[in-house]
Amino acid sequence: MRPVGLEGIDDRRQLARTLSALERGEVEAAALSRSLAGRLGRAHVVGITGAPGAGKSTLVHALLGAWLARGQRIAVLAVDPSSPITGGAVLGDRVRMGEHGANERVFIRSVAARGHLGGLARSTRAMVDVLDAAGFDTIVVETVGAGQSEVEVVQVADTRIVACPPGLGDAVQSIKAGILEIADILVVSKCDLPGAQGTAHDLRDMLHLRPGGGVGAWVVPVLPVRYDDAAAIGLLADQIEAHATAAGSGRRLAMGVTQGQAQGSAPTGATTGPAGDHPPDPHATRVAAFIAADAYVRALGIRLVHAAAGTVTLAITLEPRHVNFNHTCHGGVTFSLADTAFGMAANAFGTIAAGIDTHMTFAHAARVGDVLLARSQEISRSRKLATYRVDITREADGLLMCSFTGTVFITEQPHTLSPPQDTM
Amino acid sequence: MTHDMIPKVLVTKIGFDGHDRGSRIVAAGLRDAGMEVLYTPPWQEIAAVVKLATEEDVDVIGISSLATDHLIVPKLMAALREAALGDVGVIVGGIVPDEDEAMLLEAGVARVFHPGSSMPEIAAYVRELAQRCRQRRAAA
Amino acid sequence: MNKPIDDPALAAWQAEYDATLVGPDRAVHNRSGIAIQPLYTERDWQPDDASGQLGLPGQAPYTRGIYASMHRGRTWTQRQLIGLGTPAEYNTRLKGVLAQGATAVSLIPCNSVFRGYDADQSHIELLGTCGTVINTADHMDRALADVDLARTSCALNDPSPFTLLAFMLATAQRRGTDWREVSGTSNQSDYLSHYVANHMFFRIALPGARRILADHIAFCNAHVPRWNPMSVVGQHMQQAGATPAQAMAFTLASGLQNARDCIERGMQPDDFLPRFTFFFDISISFFEEIAKFRAARRIWARLTRETLGAREPRSWRFKFHGQTSGVDLTRQQPQNNIARVTVQAMAGILGGLQSLHTDAYDEALSCPSEYGARIAIATQNILREEAHLTDVIDPLGGSYYVETLTDQMEAQILHTMQLVEDAGGMYRAVESGLVQRLIGESAVAFQRQVDAGEQTVVGVNKYQLAEDAAARPTNVRPDRAVMQAHLDDFARFKAARSTAQVQGALDALARAANDVRDNVFGRVVEAAQAGCTHGEICDTLRREMGFGHVQAMV
Repeated sequence: MRPVGLEGIDDRRQLARTLSALERGEVEAAALSRSLAGRLGRAHVVGITGAPGAGKSTLVHALLGAWLARGQRIAVLAVDPSSPITGGAVLGDRVRMGEHGANERVFIRSVAARGHLGGLARSTRAMVDVLDAAGFDTIVVETVGAGQSEVEVVQVADTRIVACPPGLGDAVQSIKAGILEIADILVVSKCDLPGAQGTAHDLRDMLHLRPGGGVGAWVVPVLPVRYDDAAAIGLLADQIEAHATAAGSGRRLAMGVTQGQAQGSAPTGATTGPAGDHPPDPHATRVAAFIAADAYVRALGIRLVHAAAGTVTLAITLEPRHVNFNHTCHGGVTFSLADTAFGMAANAFGTIAAGIDTHMTFAHAARVGDVLLARSQEISRSRKLATYRVDITREADGLLMCSFTGTVFITEQPHTLSPPQDTM
Repeated sequence: MTHDMIPKVLVTKIGFDGHDRGSRIVAAGLRDAGMEVLYTPPWQEIAAVVKLATEEDVDVIGISSLATDHLIVPKLMAALREAALGDVGVIVGGIVPDEDEAMLLEAGVARVFHPGSSMPEIAAYVRELAQRCRQRRAAA
Repeated sequence: MNKPIDDPALAAWQAEYDATLVGPDRAVHNRSGIAIQPLYTERDWQPDDASGQLGLPGQAPYTRGIYASMHRGRTWTQRQLIGLGTPAEYNTRLKGVLAQGATAVSLIPCNSVFRGYDADQSHIELLGTCGTVINTADHMDRALADVDLARTSCALNDPSPFTLLAFMLATAQRRGTDWREVSGTSNQSDYLSHYVANHMFFRIALPGARRILADHIAFCNAHVPRWNPMSVVGQHMQQAGATPAQAMAFTLASGLQNARDCIERGMQPDDFLPRFTFFFDISISFFEEIAKFRAARRIWARLTRETLGAREPRSWRFKFHGQTSGVDLTRQQPQNNIARVTVQAMAGILGGLQSLHTDAYDEALSCPSEYGARIAIATQNILREEAHLTDVIDPLGGSYYVETLTDQMEAQILHTMQLVEDAGGMYRAVESGLVQRLIGESAVAFQRQVDAGEQTVVGVNKYQLAEDAAARPTNVRPDRAVMQAHLDDFARFKAARSTAQVQGALDALARAANDVRDNVFGRVVEAAQAGCTHGEICDTLRREMGFGHVQAMV
């Protein structure tokens, strides 16, 4: 069998098979990357992530058009979540890249996350290396951007774009850390819709709060964009190129040296956030594990947006099954959302914290289709007790839907989590 | 089932008909049976299907056909062979008259599923076909 | 029964019912999820003239029928869908069907036409297999040879941009027939249902399709006053898996959306509502379908009058064409489908439809054969003239069951309509994918019931037989040689046209697409008259208005 990883763009079939071998663990990812080391660095890798509803696939499609017009050859890795219950997945991103997907100069590969938090990042890095060595000019890595694993995957890129849907309102606060902090370029999608300018404004405000990277540092632009506006997409493509020149080029390879080998130089060029690329927050890691082990939370469809010390943000999209006989969201659902944000933040300090008192006020009724965000915040702590406040807002306009307070009793017992369901 | 035998299946429609209730149900059913499914809308060009199957390294292609679109499946089979994808399993589901079923099997289609086939039956067959195809490819 | 039984006779019935049951009573639900009791009495429903819910035929809210005399006065139109092969082959089949008693013409074009292509842009294997290939006014002329357009009602399955009607108007003009005498329907002109459920005319993007429909309605109102330009479709969504109540709700919501779009264009409700018609699937859930239609009449009457402000009774009447549902038919033991179609047809007739298409029994296997089509028409004749189903208007009116079920279906329909309204109306609900998601859920749920054996399908999951292949009819395919001759003829036609005339018409069409003051459909008609082809017209509009992208959602 021919040495793996040496195929060029034109040998599409072999390229695809190498990617499969990596996905299935038939070839060791790190070893393959090492063997390709001399041929890497030609491709510019763009990571695209963002909340559901931001239209990432449509954004990728639009960028493909711009890059094709500039004569480039582009590869896309589209990452979709796997069902935690069945292990299967519908890989639907590719479909939205319709016409351009059929172009000879475009290569698209869909990848299912398979519920692995760290593993996906390892094989994605190797897949990117294979595509780099094959000779593509630009490689796009696209993920959903809801949790920790997506952040890791996007860190595989030289230039990271975060797409935000319009109308986030106060929710900008709740997703600022983890995902927005790694952004090199922020895109506000569907900018013709109400709330887009407001969201852009909020994002710029938030960026001002971050410590700067020093003289000559890359300034993160906030670009409102309509995906069918060729001029705006062209500007975005220009910004991506500008970032490549200023800071991005070679960054992922430098990071690859520091990760996994604990040796080598710090990344060259300016950094984006206050501390550049930081290691994962232990609170966030614990909360992600809690979610994976909590059958009820997953059955309801609650997903993690962000977690840090003393704060957890969760989201849920309301479906017909969440609704009561008055066609509004069942109070038990919103209560569950608030309670989970509260309980998980409290437990993420490392020992079991048991809820002993809670109170919930319902201000507005939510309906099918609404996306609700619950953000918990610790407001007091003593040796044995801690109190939290949770606000539930509607993502579309930031309207406060419910208000919750809760108290936990802090024990000294460690957690024993059941392992996440693996249905392979 | 070993960890890395997750079948990768393409569910698609070629030709002119747009009725896709059946293909959506099958795609969802295969996902629920633990497979990774690439689902496309109807009216795919044969060349696009071949490109997709190549890049995604699919194990099985499921063609849904309710009108007479199955009549161009032989063209698809030829295009797959020409792209060195002859070892990808192809099944056809939908309305296929008896006299055409033989023609399809001759052309290399692994099996034709008629209306009334149950989802568990389809999923079990697809899994087994995917396993066979992958083994054939590994041996090649 | 939920209510306490104080009536001794009823209590005695209940006791005996319980005693004679073998095992526990089954929980029965219809397809829309409504619980069905074993018996209905005056405790469930009583006529209440004060509320005006029932009324009489021909009187608002039309629960019992939109006309005073209904089928006894004028029987339903027997409108059988036909389409196969070349225009000449269609004409032959058409004459046969008319001779057997069909009273109107119906035309379904080839799938290549639905897709927006000319025959020479398509795989030849797929041409004419499920409909007739018509790409020019000449083709339409040949297809309708010897049919008096002033006296025959034509239903054209003709989605946006309505080129078939344009070809027909060009033909009428050529024959000296005044457009004001031309009657019929732009069948399935509803772009929303196509977008949602069967994608059949996914050729022009949503906003463009919306505009062209409004132009089409305005044009017909002005120039072809006996034509029904608006056929709001429920069939696609029910066939895609929507429950009967959902399908009706989405259809009424579409009707409402289309009406609002017309009002926004400056049209008066009473000008366009009388020409709105509806097109539904009729499933084999017999009583459910009857109740569905009766409830719909009531809802539409209220909607048009109170929400849209229409003042004339003609505007409040819910006119609909029903087609027996192909989705209920099976490939196994296909002759059983004759029984199924009969039950479905009865439901439509007793539900008060205005025109009916009965499927041939082999519809589940291929394009229907002539033999199957004959039986389908005979079925209608038998129901009308042997079973005398037209002798009494709304014969099930006053039935405790049917009236209770009508009320319950109405509640379900209104519930779903509210969901759509909350989402911003049908256009927004479709654009966002809400409707598609709800339909998908129902489709999956129904399939699970069939797979689990909870819903019997005779010959498929129960009462199966080892199949006798000889019992299945052979397939009807268009003659390849005839189709090739048609293609050659088409090529000659294109070569002989005036390029200047054709290009001029297409340029005018392109300009109209970008100018909201112009009527796009009017330009389509001019293009048809100038000899432009269907593919050329669709290409131009796709280019100017954007190509519709399918949302593939699972």
